[in-house]
Amino acid sequence: MRSFRHTSFTDLLGIGLILAVAVFSLVLLVAPSIIVVIISFDTRAYVSFPPEGFTLRWYAAVFEKRELVEAMWTSLKVGLTVTVLCIVLGVPTALACVRGRFRGTTALSVFVLVPHMVPGIVLGVAVLFAGALVGVSPSIWLQSIAITVFVLAVMVRTVQSRLQRLDPALEEAAANLRATSFQSLRTVTFPLLLPAILAGAIFTFVEGFDNLSVAIFTHSFRDRPLPVELLALVQYTSTPLIAAVSGIQIVLAIAALVAVSMSIGLDTANE
Amino acid sequence: MANVTLPSVAARPGLGEFVLEKLLSGRGIWPAMPAILVLMVVAIIPFVILLSLGFSDIEVSRGAIVSRTFSLEYLTTALSDRLYWITFQRSLSLALSTTALCFLFGYPVAYLFLVGGRWTKRLILVLTIAPLLTSGIVRTYAWLVILGGRGVVNTTLINIGLIDQPLRIMNTQWAVLIGMVQIHLPVMILPLIAVMSRHDGNLIEVSQNLGASRLGTLRTVILPLSVPGIGTGSALVFTLSYTTFVVPQLLGGGNYLNAATMIYEQVVFSLEWSKGSVTSLILMVTCLVVLVSIALVSNHFTRWTRERDS
Amino acid sequence: MIHGPPGPATQIATTAPVLRIGAVSKRFGATTVLENCSLEVSEQEIVTLLGPSGCGKTTLLRCVAGFWNVDSGSIEIDGYDMAAVPVNRRPVGVVFQSYALFPHLSVLKNVGYALRMSGMAKSEASDRVAKALETVSLTGFEDRYPAQLSGGQQQRVAIARVLVMEPRVLLLDEPFNALDAKLRGAMQVELRQLIKRLGLTSIFVTHDQEEALTMSDRIAVMRAGQIEQVAPPDEIFDRPSTAYVADFIGTSSFWKAKAVAGEVTLPDGQTLKTELDGTVQVMARPHNLRLTEAGTGLWQGTVAFHRNVGALIEYHIETADGVTVKVAAMRQELARPLADSASVTLSVIDPALCAVYAD
Repeated sequence: MRSFRHTSFTDLLGIGLILAVAVFSLVLLVAPSIIVVIISFDTRAYVSFPPEGFTLRWYAAVFEKRELVEAMWTSLKVGLTVTVLCIVLGVPTALACVRGRFRGTTALSVFVLVPHMVPGIVLGVAVLFAGALVGVSPSIWLQSIAITVFVLAVMVRTVQSRLQRLDPALEEAAANLRATSFQSLRTVTFPLLLPAILAGAIFTFVEGFDNLSVAIFTHSFRDRPLPVELLALVQYTSTPLIAAVSGIQIVLAIAALVAVSMSIGLDTANE
Repeated sequence: MANVTLPSVAARPGLGEFVLEKLLSGRGIWPAMPAILVLMVVAIIPFVILLSLGFSDIEVSRGAIVSRTFSLEYLTTALSDRLYWITFQRSLSLALSTTALCFLFGYPVAYLFLVGGRWTKRLILVLTIAPLLTSGIVRTYAWLVILGGRGVVNTTLINIGLIDQPLRIMNTQWAVLIGMVQIHLPVMILPLIAVMSRHDGNLIEVSQNLGASRLGTLRTVILPLSVPGIGTGSALVFTLSYTTFVVPQLLGGGNYLNAATMIYEQVVFSLEWSKGSVTSLILMVTCLVVLVSIALVSNHFTRWTRERDS
Repeated sequence: MIHGPPGPATQIATTAPVLRIGAVSKRFGATTVLENCSLEVSEQEIVTLLGPSGCGKTTLLRCVAGFWNVDSGSIEIDGYDMAAVPVNRRPVGVVFQSYALFPHLSVLKNVGYALRMSGMAKSEASDRVAKALETVSLTGFEDRYPAQLSGGQQQRVAIARVLVMEPRVLLLDEPFNALDAKLRGAMQVELRQLIKRLGLTSIFVTHDQEEALTMSDRIAVMRAGQIEQVAPPDEIFDRPSTAYVADFIGTSSFWKAKAVAGEVTLPDGQTLKTELDGTVQVMARPHNLRLTEAGTGLWQGTVAFHRNVGALIEYHIETADGVTVKVAAMRQELARPLADSASVTLSVIDPALCAVYAD
C-alpha cells in the first residue's frame, strides 16, 4: 500500500476506520471458537469463564456417550453417501451442461440450482410430505437423498467452472490421438477435473454431515444425525461436553483446510 | 482401411463400456438424465405436493397421509392470523438487519483482502472458510457460552466491576441478532472476495495515479465493481438468516418464534401439516420477493456490464 | 509435386493425391462458413491455407481432421471417403495452436498416448516413442512435464505426439502463434526441414503471409469461405489471380485505369496489354516502381512518409488523384532518405509485371 502523494487526514481516518472494522470482524469470526476450545478443557462440570484447570476428560466423555458416538457414525454415513451420490450424479450433469450440444444447457444449469436456492427447511418439509404420501418414512436414505438434492448444485457448479476453463483442444487432441470418447474422458478429462471434484466433495461431505435444516424433517428417530443429537443435548446439558464436541469439529475443519490448501490451493477452492 | 499403419483398436468395446460411453460422453443430455430424474422425484414433485397440501384438508395417521380434500381454509386462516403477520415480520426484520450488519462488517474484510499482502489473504481465507466447515450448532453453542448468565461477557464484566448482576442477554432478540451476524459473516465475505479478486488489480493503482484518495478509490472504483458480489452475498445471507432454525431456537429461547421455528413446531410437533405447508409457502414466496428485489437492484447498478446489443 | 528424395514413409510416389477435398461446403446455422472448396494435396507436399480470421481456413482444417462434418462435398484420403470415419480413426495428426499437451502427463506419456489408446504392445510402443523424441531432438526430456518446457519445446512434443501415429496427413493449426517473433523464424525453417526429411504430407493454417511464403510448396489463399487461388509461393506473389490475393500477399498498390481496345495506359505513359475492358484496377508491387527526385514526367506525387523494411526503404507516395502508391527503393540508390512532402516522379519498371483486375 504505497502512497503516491500526500494523503489527507480524512482519507487516512476513513481508511483506518474501515481497516479497524475489518480486523474487528476477523477477531469476531474466530474469538467464539477460541473461547469454546478453552472452555472444553475446564475441569469444572459447568460452563463458565475463565476456566479452571486443564483436563481432557470431556473429550473422553464425548466418545463414551453412546448416543453421541452413534450420531457421529450416522452423520459420517450420511456425509459419505451424499458425497458419492453428488459425484455420481453431478459430474455427468456438469459434463452435459458444458460439453453438451443441445439447446437447453443453461436451462439445465438453472434446473439443478433450484433445490439449492430454496430454503433447506422447505425442502425438508416437502420431502417429508411426499414421502408420507407414498409411504416412505424418514430414514438415513431419505435424509441422504434429500441432502444430495439440496447440495448437488455445489458439485455441479464446481465441476462446471473447472470444465469451462479446460482447453477444449485437449479433448479434441485425445480424439485425434486415437482415443474413444470414453478413453478420452477417463484419461484426460477426469484427471484434470479431479481437483474440482475434490473441492466439491469436501463441501458436499460437510453439508451432509452438518446439515440440520433438511435433516430435522427427514431423519428417523433411531438414526439421528449428529446435528439433531447436538440440538437435543445442548438444551439440557450444562457440562463442557458440547464444548469438547466443538473442539473436535474445529480441529477437523482446520485439518481439512490444510489438506485442501496443500493440494489445490485455497483460491481455487473459493471459485 | 488397409493403408493405416497402426494396429486397429484393441478389443471390441463390451456392453458395459458401450452403455457408459453413451451415458457419459454423449453430446446430448443423456449424462445428466440420472440427476434430472432424481431431482424430479426428490425435489420437484415434492414441491408440487407441498403446494397442493397447502390447499388441502388432510388427515395424518402414523406418519402417513390418509385422506385429503381440497380446501382454501388454511391459506385464508393463515393470512388473516395476526400471529402469522407478527412472526413473519419478525423473521423479515431479523433477516434484513442481519444482512445489513453482515455487509457492514464483512465488506471491510473483503477490502482488507484486496489491499493486503499474501499472508493477509491467506489468513482471511482460513478464518472465513474454516467456520463453514463446522456445523451451525457448534457455532451457535459458542454464543450460548458467551452470552449466558455465567458466560464470558457477564463474568468478565462482573470481574471488572462494571456491573453487579449478570445482564440478561441470552434469550433476547439481541442475542439472536448477534449470533446470526457472526455466524453468517463468512457467507457474505466469500462472494465479495471472489468477485473483487476477479478484477484487474491495476484499477486501484490507476485510480490513485489519477489523484483519487483511498476513500475516493473505494467509493468510485472498488464499490461499484463489487456490486455483483454484494448482490450474491446479500442474497445468500438473507436466505440463510430468514430460514435458519437453529439460532433463534437456541439463542432466543422457547418464546422466540420466527417463521422457521414455527414451521418446525407445526410439522414435527403438532403435526398440523397443512398449516406447516402454508407457512412454508409463505416463507418461500416472501423470500423470493426479497431475492428478486436484490437481483433487480444489483442489476441496476451493474448496467455497465450489459453488452452492446449487436 | 515432390521436393527432394522420398522420405521414410513407405509410400511410393504416385500421381494420385493423398488428400482430396471436393466441393466442400459447411454452414453454421444461417451462416455459410465454407463454400464449394476444392483442393488436392499430393504426396509429401506442404500446402498452407492462408487468410484473415473468419475466412474459413481453420474450419476447413477441422473438417479434414473430422472434428466437424461437412454439409456437402467430400473429403477423401488415399481415395477413401472420410465421411463415415470418426475422428479417432482418421489417419491424420493434428498439431493445435495451443499445442494441447496433456498437462497431467509427462512428455513420455504425452508422446505415447496414441499408441496406448490403440493398444500397441509396450515394447514396440516405447521404441516408437524413443524414435519420435529423437526426431524432434528431445531425447532426455521424457520425465519432464509440459509446464516445465519452453514454447519451442512444447511445440516439438506436440509434433512428436502425432508422429508416432505415422499419419498420412499432418494438420497444423497456426502452430507458431504461441511463440515470440524472434523464435518464430528459426522454428519455421526448422519445421519445414523436418517435415521434408520425414516426407510427410502437411497442411498448415495461418494468417501470417510470411509464414506461408516460408513453409509452403503451395499456398491456398482463402476469403469468406472460398479458396481464391492455389499456387506455389512465387506464382502467388508474382501472378496473383485476384485483387484480394494481390492485396493479401506482399505489399501492393492499386489504382483505377481504363482499358481501351485491349490496352491499359499506365500513369507514366507506358501501356500494358489486357483482355479486360472498361474500368479496371491495376496493381503494382513496390519493387516494380521507381521514383526519382523532382524531374519531369507524367506521373507526379509527394512523399507522405517512409519506413524501413530490411534492406529497403518503402515510400508512401501520394499522387495527384489521391491514390497512395508504395515504392521500394534500395538504400544506396538515393543520397539520403527523402523528406516528407518532397516531390517525386514515379515510373513503372516493367509493365508486364503489373496485374490488371476487373473493377
